[in-house]
Amino acid sequence: MDAMNEHTERIVMSMRKSTLGVLAGLAAGAVILTGCSSATETKAEASEGAPGEGTTAVGFIMVGPKDDYGYNQAVYEGSEVIKKEFPDVEVMTAENVPEDDTAATTMEQMIDKGAKLIFATSYGHLDAALKVAEDHPDVVVVQQGNTITDDVPDNSGTYFGTVYEPMYLAGIAAGASTKTDKLGYVYAFPIPQTIANINAFERGAQSVNPDAETITVSTSSWCDPGKQQAAAESLLSQDVDVLTQHQDCTATVIQAAEKAGAMTVGYHADASSIAPTGWLTGAVWDWGPLYTDIVNKVIDGDFVGSEYNDNFRVGYKTGTNPFVLAPYGPDVTQETQTKITEAQEWLGTDEGSPFVGPVLDQDGKTKVEDGDIPTYAEVDAMDYFVQGVVGKLAQ
Amino acid sequence: MSLIVDVLSGGVRGGTSIMYAGLGETVSERSGVINLGTEGSMLVGALGAYAVGVETGSPWVGVLAGAAAGGLLALLHAYLVVRRGASQFASGLTLLFLALGLTSLFGASYVGQPVVGFDRWDVPLLSDIPFVGPILFQQDPLLYLSYFMVPLVWFVLFKTRIGLLIRTAGERSDSLTVHGYSVQTWRMIAVTVGGCLAGIGGAHLSTAYANAWFENMVAGRGFIAVALVIFAVWSPFRVMGGAYLFGTAIALGPALQARGYEINQFLLDAVPFVLTLVVLTVLGKKTLSSSPAELKRVFENAPPAT
Amino acid sequence: MTAITGDLKLPKERGKAQVWAVKALPVVVRWVGAIGGALLIFSILLMIKGTNPIDAYADMWASTFTRSASIEEIFTRMTPLVLAALAVAVPARAGLTNVGGEGQIIMGGVAACGAYLFLGDAMAPAVLLVAMVAASVVVGALWAGLAAVLRLAAGVNEAISTLLLNFIALDVLLFLIYQPWRESRTGQPATQELTDLAKLPVVAGTAVNVGIVVAVVLVVAVQVLLTRTRWGFRVSVAGGNAEAARRSGLKVAFLVLSALMIGGALAGLAGMIQFSGVEYKLRPSFGHQLGYIAFLACWLARHKPFPILLASFVFAALSVGGDSLQLDSGVPAASIYVLTALILIAVLGFTTPRKKTT
Repeated sequence: MDAMNEHTERIVMSMRKSTLGVLAGLAAGAVILTGCSSATETKAEASEGAPGEGTTAVGFIMVGPKDDYGYNQAVYEGSEVIKKEFPDVEVMTAENVPEDDTAATTMEQMIDKGAKLIFATSYGHLDAALKVAEDHPDVVVVQQGNTITDDVPDNSGTYFGTVYEPMYLAGIAAGASTKTDKLGYVYAFPIPQTIANINAFERGAQSVNPDAETITVSTSSWCDPGKQQAAAESLLSQDVDVLTQHQDCTATVIQAAEKAGAMTVGYHADASSIAPTGWLTGAVWDWGPLYTDIVNKVIDGDFVGSEYNDNFRVGYKTGTNPFVLAPYGPDVTQETQTKITEAQEWLGTDEGSPFVGPVLDQDGKTKVEDGDIPTYAEVDAMDYFVQGVVGKLAQ
Repeated sequence: MSLIVDVLSGGVRGGTSIMYAGLGETVSERSGVINLGTEGSMLVGALGAYAVGVETGSPWVGVLAGAAAGGLLALLHAYLVVRRGASQFASGLTLLFLALGLTSLFGASYVGQPVVGFDRWDVPLLSDIPFVGPILFQQDPLLYLSYFMVPLVWFVLFKTRIGLLIRTAGERSDSLTVHGYSVQTWRMIAVTVGGCLAGIGGAHLSTAYANAWFENMVAGRGFIAVALVIFAVWSPFRVMGGAYLFGTAIALGPALQARGYEINQFLLDAVPFVLTLVVLTVLGKKTLSSSPAELKRVFENAPPAT
Repeated sequence: MTAITGDLKLPKERGKAQVWAVKALPVVVRWVGAIGGALLIFSILLMIKGTNPIDAYADMWASTFTRSASIEEIFTRMTPLVLAALAVAVPARAGLTNVGGEGQIIMGGVAACGAYLFLGDAMAPAVLLVAMVAASVVVGALWAGLAAVLRLAAGVNEAISTLLLNFIALDVLLFLIYQPWRESRTGQPATQELTDLAKLPVVAGTAVNVGIVVAVVLVVAVQVLLTRTRWGFRVSVAGGNAEAARRSGLKVAFLVLSALMIGGALAGLAGMIQFSGVEYKLRPSFGHQLGYIAFLACWLARHKPFPILLASFVFAALSVGGDSLQLDSGVPAASIYVLTALILIAVLGFTTPRKKTT
């Protein structure tokens, strides 16, 4: 018996040693594999032409799912336009790409598959985008929404529409339609676009209704339905009767408003179907034309030095704003619609802007002098809420 | 509405999903099995209810689907733990990942699709009571159902034979065997029922509270429920109170923001967990001693030391 | 006795290899069967979603194992998993369940970032790195130690307390990122980026940070610690039967405390490596899910240091494969969790002979 036990023990011991041996072998194998791959991998050849020239594949990375009825869906629809406009180009899309190092990995994989132009479409993708651009001088990486503060590399750039312009117009609709003079804004993070949106919305409302105020609640997330619901409820209980938001997925807040009999200003997508009574209007993406122009420029080899090789912003003044106004709902009177159309024209002129001075912040300090008009870049740098906005920015 | 009523009403509403899951986990743990995959059951319940709700147009059918989904996941946990001897912690976490992956895979097409959910229905007369009315009786039907669930679970656990069998499985399993009952069977039943309730909790989240589906939308509520059960010393009524407490902590942030206060949101978010730790520490060894005996063994019998 | 042994042909007379094969075969068959079953189920799910599983697997394999960048990514992702899995294994030896890797990693990252922010660029990079390591190890150990103290003083089970501490750690992280340590008042919440000089160096010729070397070294160290030191021996005695250990004079309290703290230190180090080797700044998603996946990896490896290397490799490879799943097959990246979970279920449930319930 003892002999058997001792023997079993020895077998077990040798199995342990074998396990170690197997593992050691595996580890060695892995190292060799890596070494082999490095040795035989062909490094990306520096191409003769401009970055991205003649690319046969284009990649889009999105921070969320493509059917979020909001931001990412708009990006996806833009990519579909590219598919149609450029039948010979392979269009790759990746959803749910987080705003961290993983984004770089995903972009690298797209580059491996031949993409020489990549759209990094979420605000937080900038770090990864710049890293990838640095590692691949022959690939153009453009980023949607952020701003490159240092020198813009030859093969990258940022782009965005002036989202706050249609939000100003939507604010007019809200200010004219509200019966309680209280508007609500649910947002994620105080990024420049959001701050500009909120400020412009409030300014638009004030332009037709000086008593209107905009109460803000942050959910600290681009899409967390639970938090969105809590935010919407807290606003509605404060007698807010028009809700709007800057979130990636918009259904929860809109439905909360509709159920409470409040009005809705949409964002990203035309959601009038889920808010048949309360829908006023909204700001909606139409990325197709802008994406097409960028792809054209890149394929032709004209990216470097172009307007896209910079922090590109387009608005009513400069061209076709990719952010347009959604169709009106039943509550928007003819009179209001006329005012909005006039305002849109005005915004397209040199003297028009949601932020024509004087603009005061919440403490009453003058931030834009009487008669001054901030440039697109200056609006991007806004770090305060205007008077009439309720809520504090993080310290 | 005043701040307090606002917050409490939101707390009850937001805490209901946690309560359902907590009730379920109470049943499970009473039988001696802890299910860290409760979060997963809530997730599949949320998606199941939402998807079926969208397809059939009936939120109640959706709830049934959600309960079934949550129960199925828990059944898997029960099988692994009870029949195959797997570690309860590892199995629970594994099933959580399974749920995360499955709901990602099959839920993508439901994001943004509107659902006919549970609408608010004010209880006649009761909803007019000052203070209490808006908090407890101006809610949705699935929430009203939860008011009955609590005493029901309590009654079944403590006043029926089924409950006795479940509790005995958790306290003195050998006693059960001696009387000819299968400990394994009753544990599996308890865990599965727990999952069904968690699934209903998820259903509330997606079809009554937020009216939306999104990846990972349960956001830790399942884990809160597990902690809650211990905080509540395995008692259904205390689970109810604890769930509302947690729900209130979650609702406090937006309510303060909407009134213009600058709050430290994260401090607030941490309060439920810190509170649980404090309570557990204060109750101390008493909690451990009042836990179901079999659960104690789970906590003390750690993984095999090689 | 002699008669019996005379009649039986003892195994050792039959060739060691043969015996090994006989004993190992059912184990291998079980493992292959289990993993094969997992793949089969995953294939069915893929087919339901309209994807060809063969193509998907082929693409995943190609993307993951034939691109050197992917292979390097595997090693990069493996590092924190190894350390966090060790963080589960060491306390397990003492009979403790440490589910708190998630929070300990976060606190380690926070400590490293804090060291950087407070000591700044003025220091020599080497000194800064040492400071970051020290900070993360200490804070991670303390975070886990807290759970140990609660257990010793108030009987709070560490599985629950470490779980709760995970959530609290996350809130600490978010608070710091959103408020005091926020890089800019507006914009995405994140801390300042780590200066280039203090970023972890990479293994020559690759993009993999040296953390992998640290991880391997620590695997060996922990193996030695657990199996060849007196402390390791005492800890396993205490883990086997605390009461008996106490009666035989072992200081169980000290062993429990030290085991958890060592675990926390290891996970804290993982956080530091993740911060200074991969992320370079703290973001809300810092270390997301790593702790839980590492917990599962440790289970897959049955709490043994060397198998932890393999298990971490497998999970890291699966994670990289998941990226390809999305790119090549259009399936959401998170669905790789399904395959991961299925493999684990198969192993947890079907690769050991039936046991009685825990």
